[in-house]
Amino acid sequence: MEKPLTALKDGDSGVITSIKENPGHGRGAGWGFQKRLMDMGLTPGTKVTVIKSAPFNGPVEVSVRGSRLALGRGMAERIFVAMDK
Amino acid sequence: MTKKKLSIALAGNANVGKSVIFNQLTGLHQHIGNWPGKTVEKAEGTLHFKGYEIDIIDLPGIYSLSTYSLEELVSREYIAVERPNLVINVLDASVLERNLFFTLQLTELETPMVIALNQVDIAKKKGIEIDCEKLSQTLGVPVIPTVAIKGIGVYKLLEVVLETIEKGELKPRQTTYGEEIEERIEKIASLVEKIGFKYPARWTAVKLLEGDEEVENEISKKEPNILPIVKKMADEIEKIHGHSCSTVMTSERYELAGRITREVQQIMPAAKPSMSQRLDDLTTHRVFGYLLMAVIVLSIFCAIFTFGGFASTLLSDAFYSWEPIFENIVGKGVMGELIWGGIEGIMAGVTVILPYIAPFYFLLYVLEDSGYLSRVAFLMDVAMHKIGLHGKAFIPTMLAYGCNVPACLGCRIMETQRERLLAAFVVTMIPCAATTVVVLGLVGTFVNIEWALTLYIVDLVIIFLLGRVAFKVLPGEPTELIMEMNEYRLPHLKTVVNQTWFRLEEFIKIAFPVIIVSSLVIKGMEVLGFMELLSVALSPITVGWLGLRPEMGIPLVFGILRKELTLIMLATLLKPAGLSVLTPVQMVVFTLVTMLYIPCVATIAACVKEFGWKKTLYITIFRIILAIFIGGVAFRILLFSKIL
Repeated sequence: MEKPLTALKDGDSGVITSIKENPGHGRGAGWGFQKRLMDMGLTPGTKVTVIKSAPFNGPVEVSVRGSRLALGRGMAERIFVAMDK
Repeated sequence: MTKKKLSIALAGNANVGKSVIFNQLTGLHQHIGNWPGKTVEKAEGTLHFKGYEIDIIDLPGIYSLSTYSLEELVSREYIAVERPNLVINVLDASVLERNLFFTLQLTELETPMVIALNQVDIAKKKGIEIDCEKLSQTLGVPVIPTVAIKGIGVYKLLEVVLETIEKGELKPRQTTYGEEIEERIEKIASLVEKIGFKYPARWTAVKLLEGDEEVENEISKKEPNILPIVKKMADEIEKIHGHSCSTVMTSERYELAGRITREVQQIMPAAKPSMSQRLDDLTTHRVFGYLLMAVIVLSIFCAIFTFGGFASTLLSDAFYSWEPIFENIVGKGVMGELIWGGIEGIMAGVTVILPYIAPFYFLLYVLEDSGYLSRVAFLMDVAMHKIGLHGKAFIPTMLAYGCNVPACLGCRIMETQRERLLAAFVVTMIPCAATTVVVLGLVGTFVNIEWALTLYIVDLVIIFLLGRVAFKVLPGEPTELIMEMNEYRLPHLKTVVNQTWFRLEEFIKIAFPVIIVSSLVIKGMEVLGFMELLSVALSPITVGWLGLRPEMGIPLVFGILRKELTLIMLATLLKPAGLSVLTPVQMVVFTLVTMLYIPCVATIAACVKEFGWKKTLYITIFRIILAIFIGGVAFRILLFSKIL
């Protein structure tokens, strides 16, 4: 079952299936943010664990490849993962 | 005797302790400037060791060698084109996999390399053991374990670096991709080889396949026929894998980094969560996190304002006790007043820097070095999003309450030029320490403290609304937060002190010349009697529109130098009756205008340095019009509502 990273509860993990382009924008913007995420280790097939989300729809802290990252909400919404179960 | 010269670059991710190693190696023989034509910091230092004069460059902390940020561009340009004798790649042993991803990209640049495996102590605490020997064999480069903060391994690192250079050309092992990619890289590389390009051929081929715009542009200038071939190959790879070629290559690189990590690293699960982890949980907690942040930020402000106020009074009292002596020596003529004006300008700078800015920077760097600032950025991300910025922008915003100049420079923390400009527009409107002096000294003292607070709130609302408008108007789209939440650690005192010192040096270089020159100009105008003319010329605005007294235009002119001068000048001009002759409405309107009307000269200079003349001029003109408009509206509201 595929869902956005933001739908995961704290402590849940999943495997990244895809990172959706920023809707309504040209290649430049979408490419930049996708590339950045992948450079930080969020490549398709990687396991991510949600550590916690900041309140009021704030950023999401995730653990990936042994490091911890804070991701803005809008971006986390475009990262799709397949749940373990 | 001429020494043999060498150049060495330090490269690695952010927060791996690169600057600490840099400081250990170079001591005080360093200077920090900008890369030519770029707003990216360049830290350079020299070291004398075993008959060599070694020039060490601390490259910015980056995660990749793509073109996502200016920092990445500058770094790869330096390594590939300037060709230092060797690159020291600093790795954080506790996050090996992600760090190795960067290492693999460095190896593609075919530069001689030594790895400093840093923070092995933190890794050990997390239960991570790394086999350096094995890592060294796998990558084909020497690996030295270090704990830079304690100086462990740094000497050994230097010895191995020299050995490696003396042994001559040592190329690290290359990353190999899947077969279908490798054969295409080879084909493209041979094409690149033929035209002779500034970057290594294989690396160029890799970057072209990844769709790197900068390399594409440069290559098409030399040989436009290569690009269509690359495009076709990239499409073929995309067809095979179902992901874009760039995704496939990044994934493969990470897969390799992961494989190496699993081979060389052993993890014993830690028995209990580490101190860092528990601190992290507390400082990002949805309730306590915010409470703690409020307490920390407020106590920093309280401490600095208490200490700063005390120290600054002490300094300026000592300074003004010299005034009669100065007059005795130089006399009271035009020249004397001019010279005194210049000295006063310098002194004013000193009384701001020492007591306020130095401790502020120091505390901020302690927080940054410890890892706390990234938690603050995490907590404040939502709030900053309302004005189109992400959480990191809260850091310059905080700085701005002390002084707008470092805040303006601090906007470099943002990734894109658009974000930097937007952040600078907002932070230069924040009332700094000097503005606070005016608010409290005039409205707070002569009207009441509630009105002083009201002014603050009104100002923040205006800043917020303008920030929102600017965010909608500026072309481009907002960047989102992608930030590493590095482990908490003890700050390294020497590194913190060095950073504070370099910031102060930068501040002095930017602010002092403009403060002195403009002090002289304004003093000159005063001595020559232009001020009365000016106050007449300004009176349609000051008296007609803002409802102020005619002489109140003059302090506003002086306030451009330093905001607190508006209050000092006003008090002088209204003698003998004093400030109490003003009506409360005049006080409130005057203070509101002072808060809004223009960034001070030093801030303007900082903006010019970061964004150029044109943008700074627009911002400045906008602010003047805004202040006059809002001041006039406020005057009419206050007059007719009779609440004051």
